[in-house]
Amino acid sequence: MTSPSQADLIAGNGTTDGESDPPKKGKSTSSDDLVGRSPGQLMWTRFKRDRTGVIAGCVVIFFFVIAALAPVIAKLYGKNPYTLYSQEDYSLLDEYGYPTGNAGGISADFWFGIEPNMGRDIFTQLLYGMRTSLYTALVVAVLAALTGVIIGVTAGYMGGKVDYWLSRFTDFVMAFPSQLFLISMTPVITAIFVDPQKETPVHIRFFAIVGILWVLGWMGMARLVRSQTLSLREREYVDAARVSGASSARILRKELLPNLQSTILIQASYMLPSAILTIAFASFVGVGFQEPTPDWGRMFATAGRIYEDNPMYMLFPGVAMVIFILAFNLFGDSVRDAIDPKAGR
Amino acid sequence: MLRFLVRRVLGASVILLLISAVTFFLFFAAPGDPALLACGKNCTPDALTIIRENLGLDKSIPHQYWLFLSGIFTGRDFAIGHCDAPCLGVSFNDRTMVWDTIIDRLPVTVSLTVGGLIIFLTLGIGAGLLAAAKKGTMVDKAASSTSLVLSSLQIYFIGPVVLGAVVYSTGWLDAPQYNEFFDGPMAWAAGLLIPWVVMSLIFTAQYTRMTRAMMIEQLQEDHVRTARAKGMGSKYVFFRYAWRGAMVPIVTILGMDLGGMLGGAVVTEMTFGLAGIGRLAVDSVVNVDLPLTMGVMLVGATFILLFNILVDAAYAFIDPRVRLS
Amino acid sequence: MRLSSTRKARAIVVALAAGSLVLTACGGNNGGGDGKDNSNTQDDAAAQSKPVEFGDAEASKGPAEPIKGAKKGGTIRVYQESDFTHLDPGQIYVSDAGQLSSLIHRGLTTYKQDDEGGLTVVGDLATDSGTTEDDGKSWKFTLKDGVKDSDGDEITSKDLRHTIERRYAKFQTEGPTFIQEWLSGSGTTYRKALPDGPYEGKHLPDSVLETPDDKTIIFKFKTARPDLPQALTMPGYAVVPEAKDTKEKYTNGPVALGPYKIKEFKRGKGMQLEKNEHWDADTDPMRHQFVDGWNITYNHSRADQTKRIMSDRGEAKDSIQLSGSVDTPQVKKVVEDPEISKRTIQGYQPYVWQLNMNMDRIKDKRVRDAITHALPQKAILRPDGGAYGGEPAGGLLAPTLPGYDKSFDPYDKLKKPNGDLEKAKELLKEAGKEGMTLVYGHAAEPHRTEQAVIVEKALEKAGFKVEKKDIPGSAWYETVGKVDNKLDIYMTGWGQDWPSATTVVPVLYHGGNIADGKSNYSHIDDKKVNEQIDKALEITDPEEAQKEWVKIHEYIVEEINPAAPMYYTKQLQVYGSNVGGARYGQVKSYIDLTRLYLKS
Repeated sequence: MTSPSQADLIAGNGTTDGESDPPKKGKSTSSDDLVGRSPGQLMWTRFKRDRTGVIAGCVVIFFFVIAALAPVIAKLYGKNPYTLYSQEDYSLLDEYGYPTGNAGGISADFWFGIEPNMGRDIFTQLLYGMRTSLYTALVVAVLAALTGVIIGVTAGYMGGKVDYWLSRFTDFVMAFPSQLFLISMTPVITAIFVDPQKETPVHIRFFAIVGILWVLGWMGMARLVRSQTLSLREREYVDAARVSGASSARILRKELLPNLQSTILIQASYMLPSAILTIAFASFVGVGFQEPTPDWGRMFATAGRIYEDNPMYMLFPGVAMVIFILAFNLFGDSVRDAIDPKAGR
Repeated sequence: MLRFLVRRVLGASVILLLISAVTFFLFFAAPGDPALLACGKNCTPDALTIIRENLGLDKSIPHQYWLFLSGIFTGRDFAIGHCDAPCLGVSFNDRTMVWDTIIDRLPVTVSLTVGGLIIFLTLGIGAGLLAAAKKGTMVDKAASSTSLVLSSLQIYFIGPVVLGAVVYSTGWLDAPQYNEFFDGPMAWAAGLLIPWVVMSLIFTAQYTRMTRAMMIEQLQEDHVRTARAKGMGSKYVFFRYAWRGAMVPIVTILGMDLGGMLGGAVVTEMTFGLAGIGRLAVDSVVNVDLPLTMGVMLVGATFILLFNILVDAAYAFIDPRVRLS
Repeated sequence: MRLSSTRKARAIVVALAAGSLVLTACGGNNGGGDGKDNSNTQDDAAAQSKPVEFGDAEASKGPAEPIKGAKKGGTIRVYQESDFTHLDPGQIYVSDAGQLSSLIHRGLTTYKQDDEGGLTVVGDLATDSGTTEDDGKSWKFTLKDGVKDSDGDEITSKDLRHTIERRYAKFQTEGPTFIQEWLSGSGTTYRKALPDGPYEGKHLPDSVLETPDDKTIIFKFKTARPDLPQALTMPGYAVVPEAKDTKEKYTNGPVALGPYKIKEFKRGKGMQLEKNEHWDADTDPMRHQFVDGWNITYNHSRADQTKRIMSDRGEAKDSIQLSGSVDTPQVKKVVEDPEISKRTIQGYQPYVWQLNMNMDRIKDKRVRDAITHALPQKAILRPDGGAYGGEPAGGLLAPTLPGYDKSFDPYDKLKKPNGDLEKAKELLKEAGKEGMTLVYGHAAEPHRTEQAVIVEKALEKAGFKVEKKDIPGSAWYETVGKVDNKLDIYMTGWGQDWPSATTVVPVLYHGGNIADGKSNYSHIDDKKVNEQIDKALEITDPEEAQKEWVKIHEYIVEEINPAAPMYYTKQLQVYGSNVGGARYGQVKSYIDLTRLYLKS
């Protein structure tokens, strides 16, 4: 992804192509030096001390919660994101399709105003839109992380031919221009699965977007986990376990995975916001979720067109996005600090 | 070095071949009749047949793929004229040669990238180094928090805001526009100033954060500490040892960013109405102009692979421990 | 003529139309800030609904009427969204290229617009608008003296013959086909008369197309074709000199006959025009050559075009929109700011949008009536420009057609522009089709998608179920133009090719036009309608024919209702403050390029 988040995504590691591994990164190998309390406990204590991190974490959780509760909130608030309110009260929009009220039609009835042309409620649009984006991104991040870990561990642990081919496969997928692939493939994939007589169901779009982002999103994790596993494999305690007759499964589960935890966590903390931004990007370009599914990214596309005459429409989704990403960055920083205090901030 | 290059270029070619195959078969396996898309106004069955012949769509898909591949090396003949090698086919939409269109649009994207690059590398790395050197001071805190906020911005959000503020409502600057560099470097720079700055805002922040983190990490490395303990000047250690180490990951990311950006800075181009590769890609998708989309994808992939190789080659210069085998 | 589906495509439409409308075009109207709809109304359009006149040799003489205060010199700046798809006249059927062609191409005849917006067909390269001695079965045109192309070579009747004959060649797939069909058979059968065009040395026989000398060309038809002089005004029939024809490649570098020629043309980027030294004002009845050149650049979205010109700074002072319109979100500002609104041109476009109800699939008229009643035209129009983008339609004929009746409103669409859900429910219940599923096809464009949501909501309220199906914008008409399109309802736009119902009613509503690629989108095949259309086509007296068309139209809408009337579209363009001579061009339905100058 060339979205700016890319720098973050791989900022934690300098891994490149398999054959010319750059020098090892201190960051990811450090946590296993600690003894005594489990790394998890240590992490948690360190994290709790970081007030900014805790607040940022709460903000992030807050976003996920209100997104999850969108239907409940909408019900209490008494509006939904689908009704064209301008078709019920003709005075809401003027002849140009703009809200008649001040500041984009903000009123006690419509807290964030009314959508131009369509006359829908912006508050619930944003809530539901965030829900769409956040949870799609969550699914993508989880799937991609899992895939990355599985491929990375397999390649790193098995070595030899398996490693070679898995690494080549990783290189291959990595060479895909991911933004371009995303925009060009989403419509194609959707078209393959839809009966030309039927409306494209939302779940097909969801699967298409998730599928493509999944396919394009696991490589960073895989490479990192692979190089980490490679170095762990040669450690004495792994050798010891092997010599004492432990099965591969046991070595993976008991010896390797616990030591990969922090690497995986750090990488995953980059993957989620990146997935959110990528989904927003897809919608902005017009290949994401379509009307009438409320969508955060598409709100920016609309806002970009009308923002001069109706800046309010840009304000709420934009500010929400900035706050969310900022909180996530802060939160991610503290989590990484907690996992790896040596990185020192 | 030469052997390394040859091997990597061969590897990259195989990957490109695979990418072209995957995209080609996915595109043409999708339902829908490409000829229909190219048919224009009086789309009679008669006209459809002519168009199928003109575009070579009457052949089987593997055959079409073969024609496409061989066209890259030998050129192809279409009814509308000869397509010189490297021939990436003919656009369904306006029947122009895909290669020509891409070459036409490339300078816009390259200009965007190069200009933005200079700004965000200088500012980003400079600020990052400064923050790392003055770790913990006000300077560090200011640089870190500014970059944190800026890196949370998105071009599609901040772009229209900047445009509205400095162009349309105040008229301080002209709307972004691409002028040929060779027609006048000043006009070229003036036209792209706003996109560069907006793009750089965000990338600068990313690189500041990254540089700072890498430098702090490096400064704690054993060899750096040893060097300092040996009594070397702190400036010398800072640049000679720590910076050298920090450069490796930065170059890696830069390589990936550049590869991606040259394949089309989609959001920047769309926000500022610049007709580069990214905009071309989006337009081709909207128009279901498959040959054009294919072409853009292949060019994008080529850039990514090219920069991968360049980055790996660069390691040899930055880090003596790396051997190109 | 078909209206493209996309918003952009509003820009890519042929607008060869209009004759009869008169509007507050020049100078626009000054909408105050009161938010009242000041867009011009049908009264303006219909006020001078007079038929097109045919000019004699005197009217066809150059130079064009002088324009008060016009100055020479300068370069007009043009912001354009995308490249011209074709520059080869034979492939031009869309308005962006059609607009440009008024500067570089010339045909046998052309329209001359007077100050009131009235149109006269006059000879352009021909000395008059054509003469016939057998009520339109054969037409004779004589070339003016001294007409040269931009290389300085004189145009002869051989070039005219070549222009017509090359339209038979296989690669010519996109331009209009009226004259070929009239000469050599309808549909695609005409192509058999000259399968390779004139390129293999074959020609149409003298019994069809005759060039007795270097100055004369005679068209010979089997039946009367009174509309020939109007058809010849289309950019698609502009002259391509035989010696300069490069077949498929001609579209990249056509030779110019008009006052300007192409100086530089960069695909995808822009185009520069410079004066054509060999253009002689004395031969041209309607074009001027005030400015030294035109600088056209592409990739300016409508939003960008509008904002640049609105700001009126620097080179934007000298700028115009060629085939772009004011971006919908900016309309409010453009109309309400008095300084900007005096720099606009407005007018009716000849297009009517209709919601076709596929009669192969929806056979019950009550269901079609229910759909028609349910639709909220006013809301549907909003994403497509709102009050200044068009206005709700009562019938299927545009206000720009002679004989248009603005009180015709059988489904109360004008009285109840927000739809009549009660009536719709009632009708649907009567038909016993409550809960019926309708597949609604729409182009995958932001504004069409928004319209789809509005249509869906309204129909669901009326008791239908709706499946929305999005179709790539670039394949929209090709997809719905298939007989087996598997869709129930879909919106299409159509405008006359010249101001006569003959280019609308038979094309859209004759059962004979149900075929792939034809334009009877609603698949209406009514015996009575077909018979009446066939009869009306034979009437040679324009006024009598007009009455007949009105009757047929009313019968179609009231008794059959194949398509719900949606809205008529309007044009709104803005130009820089230094541009003079701007007015609405009735023929192209855009700014009239032939008379623009720069004030300083």
